[in-house]
Amino acid sequence: MAPSDQVKALVDEMPKADERGMYCHVVIRELPPEKGKRQVETQPIDKAKIDKAIDAIQKGGRASVLGIVDMLVEPGAGEDYKARYALHCLAVRVCQMKKATGDDKPRREFAEAVASALGAGRPKAVRAYLAQELQVAGGQEAVAALGKLLTDEEACDPAARALLSIGGAAVEQFRAALPAAKGYCRLAVVQALGVMRDAASVPALQAALKEPDREVRMAAGWGLARIGDASSADLLMKAADAEPGWERIQAVKACLMLAENLRAAGKKAEAVKIYTYLRDSRKDKSEQYVREAAEAALAAVK
Amino acid sequence: MSGENRRRSSRRDLLKQGALAAVSAATFTIVPRHVLGGQAEPPPSETIGGALIGCGGRGPGTFQGLGAGVRRLAQCDVKFKDKYDNQTYYTDFRRVLERKDIDVVAIATPPHWHALISIAAMEAGKDVLCEKPMTRTIAEGRAVVEAERRYRRIFQVGTFGRYGAIKSDRSRLTHKIMRSGLLKNCQGVHIKKGGLKVKEWSGMVNAKPQPIPPNLDWDLYCGPSPLRPYHPHRHGGTHRGYWDYEGGGLADMGQHHFDPVQWIYGKDDTSPVSVEAYAPPAPPEAVAMWGWVELTYADGLTFVMESTEWGEPYNRKQARDVSLADLSEQDQKKVQAMPDPEPFPAFPEAVKTRKKPGGHAEAAHRCATLLHLANIAIRTGRKLKYDPVKEEIVGDPEANRLVVQPLRAPWRI
Repeated sequence: MAPSDQVKALVDEMPKADERGMYCHVVIRELPPEKGKRQVETQPIDKAKIDKAIDAIQKGGRASVLGIVDMLVEPGAGEDYKARYALHCLAVRVCQMKKATGDDKPRREFAEAVASALGAGRPKAVRAYLAQELQVAGGQEAVAALGKLLTDEEACDPAARALLSIGGAAVEQFRAALPAAKGYCRLAVVQALGVMRDAASVPALQAALKEPDREVRMAAGWGLARIGDASSADLLMKAADAEPGWERIQAVKACLMLAENLRAAGKKAEAVKIYTYLRDSRKDKSEQYVREAAEAALAAVK
Repeated sequence: MSGENRRRSSRRDLLKQGALAAVSAATFTIVPRHVLGGQAEPPPSETIGGALIGCGGRGPGTFQGLGAGVRRLAQCDVKFKDKYDNQTYYTDFRRVLERKDIDVVAIATPPHWHALISIAAMEAGKDVLCEKPMTRTIAEGRAVVEAERRYRRIFQVGTFGRYGAIKSDRSRLTHKIMRSGLLKNCQGVHIKKGGLKVKEWSGMVNAKPQPIPPNLDWDLYCGPSPLRPYHPHRHGGTHRGYWDYEGGGLADMGQHHFDPVQWIYGKDDTSPVSVEAYAPPAPPEAVAMWGWVELTYADGLTFVMESTEWGEPYNRKQARDVSLADLSEQDQKKVQAMPDPEPFPAFPEAVKTRKKPGGHAEAAHRCATLLHLANIAIRTGRKLKYDPVKEEIVGDPEANRLVVQPLRAPWRI
């Protein structure tokens, strides 16, 4: 949706970047150079002016949001920093309104409008920026649109980060995306299921422990440890027998995390089994610290 | 010989036991000075294998903080693409941490890597001296604390103000008053006015993508942060002006200032419960201007950060010290009878004795939390209530998204 003249004018109320390209002050006029250095007269960033313009944009509703979205361009393809700033201020403002009044409608309308613009017709960097703003102010109304990006190599990272920040039912998007996710997207989705401690994904994460991609295997082990799944203990201990190196270090971490989570859940015997295994299996001098960590944990459990 | 195959010596254990390896004097073999040792050259039995990760800026100075007996066996930096050999020079810190002959690690990368590399190093059995600020988010700080505990490693953040503070009679007295638990309604107000380099370490809002220098692994530089188009201002010191990597001068210089202040006021194990900022709306990616931030603890103690670089001055409260006069005569005697706090071991001593150094993980995390909360208040424009036990913002789920920020896979904490 092309921005109206009014929206364009309001976006133009945002501060002009200063002589260093920053929002430190506003340059009001050039002064004669001194010793070859550019001199400018400045005034402070005007908070009241920004707030007033953002309020006016917010009152314009969905049309204003989509108008600003249409002002965004691929980095380097044009000057859109004022529009980016305005959209971000709007995201923050609708959250402020929610907190101040308890009314979630402005935030929801903002997020719905931004989510509706996530389609494939926009440049990668613009979609990433929209996902970033949904990470600020998005909610359940945005998860379906973000979920569609999880199998898109160019957009899955910002989409995953937004969904993780939204939380809650966003986990369903990761579950749904996993079977089709390939390459980097698969790694991002597997890791996200662990971040969200999704117990329903235990079988999928256990299966991922056998995948050829080392990063996926490590992310799956980490996720199972975070979930605190007792049935994964043997699998994680087996993974901890990897050859010396980064994967072994990370597998040991997963064992220790799982043991801690099992202990916290009252499953002391299962935790003791893992600690005992680590204490008894780390024979090399270079892994003495693991043995000592396991011994200390055992002493604390018993 | 590859890093993986290097034999780990028992240097650390020898140091722990105070033992020295015997050097035979019965032969006439010419022995290099670094083997015999001397005032400037300790023998191998006293040396510890060290690595420097993040070699620009503060890197060499941070490495020195590891101690005189540490030999620099590896240097790692994402800008070593043109010279890495995975023997001495590295671009990927994971290859460094796999080495068995590295005992201690100095980390002087930009802050978005501090927590991840610190945690990874402790997972690999290394002790860690990390540059300030400790972390980029509150959640990262808690993860460092957990790793320090889980692996029983030494961690210290490279800011040393509290080592000076503990030598001051007045600071020790304030510390004892606060730690006594006898001061129920604290009237103390500490104001940090200026010196937080707001304009100096702001970010560009209109940076245009530029070609990535051939020696720089930009993907690895971005690491857990979003993969942005390259611009030189995002790298090499000026990274401080971007939320992706740090939190401006407030987060950077703030850890120096508030580390001793937090200790003096006995707040190494807790955080403020209320935070309010006065600032114009913050840009999404670049750090910009702010006026002041007021942080209040549950007992009433107030810390204020005042930039002096934007807006009206802070005028809600006057600076006020805590003193014995705030207590009853009976309580004053109790405080005066309290023993002085133990001196802080320096990092090398902590490595030997396994005692926590000054600026250990929990203390450094709580200090970094002050700065993160201040920046969250600036970025959200909202007054925040914080739960120092659960370490979450109360009643504001959107603000909480800045407490725990998702990381770009495969990076996680």
